[in-house]
Amino acid sequence: MYNILRILPFLSLIFCLELEIGSIMPKNNVGLKTINGDFINLSSVRGEKGTLIIFSCNTCPWVIKWEDRYLDIAKKYIPKGVNMIAINSNVAKFSGDDSLIKMKEHAKKMNYNFTYAQDPNAEIANAFGATKTPHVFLFNQNNSLVYKGAIDDNARDAKNVDEEYLANALDALLENRKIEKESTKALGCSIKFN
Amino acid sequence: MKKTYIIAISLLLVSCNDIELIPATSSTIIEKIKSYKGEKAVLLNIWALWCVPCVEEFPMLVEFQKNNTNLEVVFVSADFQDEFENVKSFLVKQGLKSNSYIKNEKDDIFINGINQQWSGSLPFIIIFSKNKGIVVDSWEGKELKSRFELAIDIALSS
Repeated sequence: MYNILRILPFLSLIFCLELEIGSIMPKNNVGLKTINGDFINLSSVRGEKGTLIIFSCNTCPWVIKWEDRYLDIAKKYIPKGVNMIAINSNVAKFSGDDSLIKMKEHAKKMNYNFTYAQDPNAEIANAFGATKTPHVFLFNQNNSLVYKGAIDDNARDAKNVDEEYLANALDALLENRKIEKESTKALGCSIKFN
Repeated sequence: MKKTYIIAISLLLVSCNDIELIPATSSTIIEKIKSYKGEKAVLLNIWALWCVPCVEEFPMLVEFQKNNTNLEVVFVSADFQDEFENVKSFLVKQGLKSNSYIKNEKDDIFINGINQQWSGSLPFIIIFSKNKGIVVDSWEGKELKSRFELAIDIALSS
């Protein structure tokens, strides 16, 4: 009993609770600052058929590996009515590698074809239970969460992917089919909350 | 003659420092941890070379291992297999004496196989108690030394 009491102060810090499938998009009125200096919120990026949110950053090696697929996904699905936004919640690095200026440079260098914005107090990451980059959340046209987790099963090599988790979920969403894998996991860099 | 001595000593040092880096699945890791039940508390550390907080806290974990004969620190690298030699060099530089592991399984299967609650964020730590082999504490990301010490203390006595 004494041992349990000693560890209690830490128990709340064990894991953030990731948003459950079926949840309505939280914090959709919280302000985000885009790389163009505009203030937006998640309501304003909502797509007609769905909304794809990727927690991301500038430097995580896992993001760098998967980034080519960010572009492919945006190119294929934004015209089909699923809007996409990459959110940077690395508050601890906003005065360094994840500053708005560096985000803008990174987006330009990588030819981002979607919105890239800062989550000023990591309020959105906390509400989603996002823990890492990249960490994907896909909502349907009713703003209900239908898929969460990884982009696919091979960060290193897009040509050797066995399962395109996110693309499969997007296709199923657009074709009104059941999403077979609603939740997947992949390694990633921890979000630097503070 | 002097040159021969130098070569011999160098070879000895290399062999002393040579540790084995074993490709492993989540089930191999879990079985290894279970094998210490009743003998040692276990600290499982999943890390990667590209993960800055992982590299920062690594020397502290090596120290925990050195200072507690009843604690086994199991290091599992989550780097890609083509980083094998770089991982091995890093482990030698850190003065690691025991064998270490490198992930050899798809992320989704590996993460859930290690712990269902783990999201995949690195570093990831789980501390198992010595006698019962149960999880005393676990977390993702960098943590204070005091949290490690408290959890290890409890793990050693339960």
